[in-house]
Amino acid sequence: MFAKVIGRRLILSAFILLAVSLIVFGATLLLPGDAARAILGQQATPERIAALNEQLGLNQPAWQRYFSWLGGLFVGDFGTSTASGGPVSELLSQRVWASFILMAAAAVISVPVGIGLGVYSALHRGGRRDQALTGISLVLAAMPEFVIGIALIAIFATSVFQILPAVTLAPPGDPVWMRPEQLILPTLTLVLVVTPYIVRMMRATMIEVLDSGFVEMARLKGVPETRVIFRHAVPHALGPVAQVVAIQLAWLAGGVVVVEFLFRYPGLGQALIDAVTYRDVQVVQAISMLVAAVYVVVNLAADIVGILTNPKLRSAA
Amino acid sequence: MRTPNRRQALGAGLSVSAIVGLSACGTATGSSLDAGKPVKGGTLRAGVTGGNAADTIDAHIPVNSGDIARTVNLYNCLLSRTDDYKIQPELAESFEPNGDATVWTATIREGAKFSDGRDITPDDVVFSFERINDPDDPKAAAASFTMLDKVVATGKRTVEFRLSEPNGLLNDSVSEYTTGIVPSDYDPKNPVCSGPFKLKSHDPGQSTVMERNDYYWRKDGGFLDEAAILNFNDSDALINALLSSQVDAIAQIPLALVEVIGADERMNILNSKTGMWLPFTMRVDRPPFDDVKVRQAFRLVVDRDQMIEQVLSGFGTVGNDMFGPLSENFPDFPQRKQDIPKAKKLLAEAGYPDGLEVELVTAPIQSGVVEAAQVFAQQAAEAGIRVKIRKVDATTFFGDEYLQWDFAQDFWYTRDFLPQCVSCSMDESPFNETHWDDPGFTKIVEKARGISDSADRKNLEHEAQKQLYDDGGYIIWGFANQVDAYQKYVGGLVPNATGRPLSGWRLDRVWIGKV
Repeated sequence: MFAKVIGRRLILSAFILLAVSLIVFGATLLLPGDAARAILGQQATPERIAALNEQLGLNQPAWQRYFSWLGGLFVGDFGTSTASGGPVSELLSQRVWASFILMAAAAVISVPVGIGLGVYSALHRGGRRDQALTGISLVLAAMPEFVIGIALIAIFATSVFQILPAVTLAPPGDPVWMRPEQLILPTLTLVLVVTPYIVRMMRATMIEVLDSGFVEMARLKGVPETRVIFRHAVPHALGPVAQVVAIQLAWLAGGVVVVEFLFRYPGLGQALIDAVTYRDVQVVQAISMLVAAVYVVVNLAADIVGILTNPKLRSAA
Repeated sequence: MRTPNRRQALGAGLSVSAIVGLSACGTATGSSLDAGKPVKGGTLRAGVTGGNAADTIDAHIPVNSGDIARTVNLYNCLLSRTDDYKIQPELAESFEPNGDATVWTATIREGAKFSDGRDITPDDVVFSFERINDPDDPKAAAASFTMLDKVVATGKRTVEFRLSEPNGLLNDSVSEYTTGIVPSDYDPKNPVCSGPFKLKSHDPGQSTVMERNDYYWRKDGGFLDEAAILNFNDSDALINALLSSQVDAIAQIPLALVEVIGADERMNILNSKTGMWLPFTMRVDRPPFDDVKVRQAFRLVVDRDQMIEQVLSGFGTVGNDMFGPLSENFPDFPQRKQDIPKAKKLLAEAGYPDGLEVELVTAPIQSGVVEAAQVFAQQAAEAGIRVKIRKVDATTFFGDEYLQWDFAQDFWYTRDFLPQCVSCSMDESPFNETHWDDPGFTKIVEKARGISDSADRKNLEHEAQKQLYDDGGYIIWGFANQVDAYQKYVGGLVPNATGRPLSGWRLDRVWIGKV
């Protein structure tokens, strides 16, 4: 039953990804201008455009290009980037890792911190500390990520203090994790964007759980308070929060674009912006597919957590 | 095209010093000292906006600012331009025409060598120009060499450029940075270089590290061990990197921010007057601009001083609807000023007594272009001209309709008058955006460009200039300065008129001073 649910979801996901690829390919065809013109810019003389189109293989009809790309996908070939002339997989391999590290760092920090603060807030419900936490998380949740990023840069890198690097710079070929200090500000920005939602959701569900009958019963029976909270209340509150965490993680996959742009972070987001500007269709498709895949996987994981933390569903599975 | 393994191949050559140099980070020094006397050693980290996966290290197909920076530093041409835009010798000791300017002879500098220690020979020069003019794959400079019939090695150090028609301006074409000399076994993926630097590593759209070429002929520079070009997608990240001392110099800052950055005591501003112009282009073969009175009226509605103030934040010089301000034969016509009554009168005579409505196509193709469109729309309204601004993205602008818009904008870097005419104001011109095709004018320009001595062609040039000044399709309201910013410990940066940032990208003259 459990395996069947997951299997069905996976098959559905494959169709979703296929639809995404068709839509993205169609959308890039609608963009005005073509790769050769975009690359050559003002210097696009007819002779040079013809020469470049020949090199890039853009003389083939669109449907032929789409199917040869799709065919390549099944054998693990993401195609060739028109801008760089090299395979897409080579262009993106390092960037995938860079983006993954940024997202993973943000997730690893914000999920426990968010849950912890949410529980803390719920336990001190109505008190001054709860009010402060609620206020701060509301303000942060209301701010777009680029505002938070710019504020952090101004405070820690340029205007007020100059203690942290403002952008990510590495010599050619060096992975981003060689310089952890450059990861601090982008990670912190993402953490500040994602955490407030988790705090608020955790606080709300936790309050609900603390008010419920079985917690009252446990307390009446004389179970120690820490045990009441961590053994009985928190696991109950996690189910709904997992959904919020999933949405936040999925947002990270897309929202990282703006943050990468701001910090010159050499990840997927930056590659996507470049690829759209230069009509590098195969790169746009590869990245869209990756982001879509992250959405699918993360949502699937959230459902699994939901099942595992709910005894009723768990035993049914 | 490029091979998949380029990064790995170049990465093998990465040394520890590049890593140390690039990571010298974080804390600012706050020193207000100057760079002092030239010091040998160190790495310059220069930031530039733009750059993408299509970035190139090929000598002959530079497109964006980072490409140009690489081209200028990795490759040397036969001639180049000085800081005040005069032609100067580089790899060629001399470059002289014969009597009727049909054959030019270049003499290669004694002892000039490539970065691998080989002599630069006439065969290499021949190969370089054949590569540029390759009919199957013409390079960026090919459009200026249509009259180049043959390049022939005639001696141990001499090369002849034989032309199909007289051309007195070949030295101008040869001084363009797109004509770098490469060895006859040139491999653009793994280039042997003729410039002050050679390539160490290159990651398209991210960064390029170049190291000093010890075989370079010029011995009065070459202070830096290494120079890194770092790409940024927007100018905010670029400025933040400078303010947090992650880069030493940045190319082209937004003019509105010059004062803010200049107020930081750690920074210097490099303000260069150039011949770069951001014209409005009116198609002289399409209504309403086919009527010369409409063109004249449009030129009279522009308040040029206000344009400079609002669009360029004051960093520019007023234009007089005439390009090539650094040409030796630049004319001294009366400065055109805003004259709304006269403009209205001209419009009425042209059949628009109640004004007219026009569409102006604009795009963020260069900083200031879109702003100029907005200011123009306001100024033109005073004369009853209703300007509808249509803003498109840069790719669309340079797309199928580029050079076809009735009323649009463009930008040009510093050029002399005649080469500029050849590029944009003749039937054969590759970028004739105003569709200016006047047989009389073409005849004058063709006659003038056959003359290699600038004093001898002065009268002809003035004739052509007068025609464009009276009837042309360009509104040239000003010339923008090139403004860069750098840390005070960087020395050797001087104002440069070419329009290329950071002293025309001549990084061989730059040093990192003691802080």
